[in-house]
Amino acid sequence: MNDDELATMLRDSVTGVHANTPVNQIASRGRAVRARRRIPGVAAAMAGVAGAALAVVALVPSSHPANRVPTAQLAAWTVAKHTDGDIYVTINELRDPAGLQATLRADGLPVNVSFGPPLSTSCQADDASKDVLKAVAEFKTSDGRAYLVIHPSALPSSVGVSIFDEPGAGKPPVRPPTQDPGSLPPAGITGPLAIGLVHESQACTGS
Amino acid sequence: MGPQRLDFAEFYRNSADECLRTVLISVSDQDTARELVDEAFARAWASWRTINRHPAPKAWVVRTALNLNVSRWRRRRREVPVSDPGTVADLPAVGETFGSTVDPQIMVALMRLPARQRQVVALRLILDLDTGRTAEVLGIAPGTVMAHLGRAMAALRIDLQPEPQQETRS
Repeated sequence: MNDDELATMLRDSVTGVHANTPVNQIASRGRAVRARRRIPGVAAAMAGVAGAALAVVALVPSSHPANRVPTAQLAAWTVAKHTDGDIYVTINELRDPAGLQATLRADGLPVNVSFGPPLSTSCQADDASKDVLKAVAEFKTSDGRAYLVIHPSALPSSVGVSIFDEPGAGKPPVRPPTQDPGSLPPAGITGPLAIGLVHESQACTGS
Repeated sequence: MGPQRLDFAEFYRNSADECLRTVLISVSDQDTARELVDEAFARAWASWRTINRHPAPKAWVVRTALNLNVSRWRRRRREVPVSDPGTVADLPAVGETFGSTVDPQIMVALMRLPARQRQVVALRLILDLDTGRTAEVLGIAPGTVMAHLGRAMAALRIDLQPEPQQETRS
């Protein structure tokens, strides 16, 4: 048997193998891959958010009463819009995404928030560079407080923000060291938070 | 006029089978190969603006799939070494592993090869890459590719040579 005959035999042996995944399923997964381009540091830094929970409550501005909970308890999230237009978001628990989404939209941000379920199929990831993403959103920590800063002015035209988590990828919730010992640790933090850019649309970002 | 840009769906339609077959021979498990190739194509879709200008997008997909396999192995830290040909020949699930569409005798012979030789065979003979591109995909020297291919073909020839008919004398 010469090399050509052997090569033909090998090729023939796998001709019955066919890729049968529909291309739209590949594209769907591709959209998720693209949307998960994270801001460097976000995932790692989010581990500190629970620990900064009580300090975070102090950030709550009067315009957004952080789910109207007493300051002695944890707010799931808080939103503060500064005079320069930047939006500061702290997330202590990945719950009430609809409330967070509505609050951010009320502040003029085209946004889709999703905690737990996969990214909304109504959202189409934008193919912007990581530099654009970093200009739009950044993760900061100061004085033991961790928060996400969104700069709406840096958003390209017709582009919105997607905020989502990656279930199962993170550490289990930990009790904030400053929390009342009698209370439960925050639940619902199922993984690191990620930020992506998406095409602005009524179905995805509400505009 | 710039280089012709491929449509992703067309690229997928035209190259998915070849990529899957290449990865299948490299990783020796059909389910794993399908997962890796699907994920690699999804990543190609996500970066299609770049990948469609790549001189060999199929090679990019296969390399991505193989890299994913390495990452996957590192995560799981478990591997079933196939060093004993006798053990392989006795495996009852060979047909299931590769699927009923694959000739088990050939697949067993391929599984007996060291992983690198299998990858070279897959890239050179199934994906039809030239020596230079194969070397690039695997991150090895072209001479090493030729050496691996030569050894692999020699081993396969011995394994797959039809056994001579024994003469029976009465």
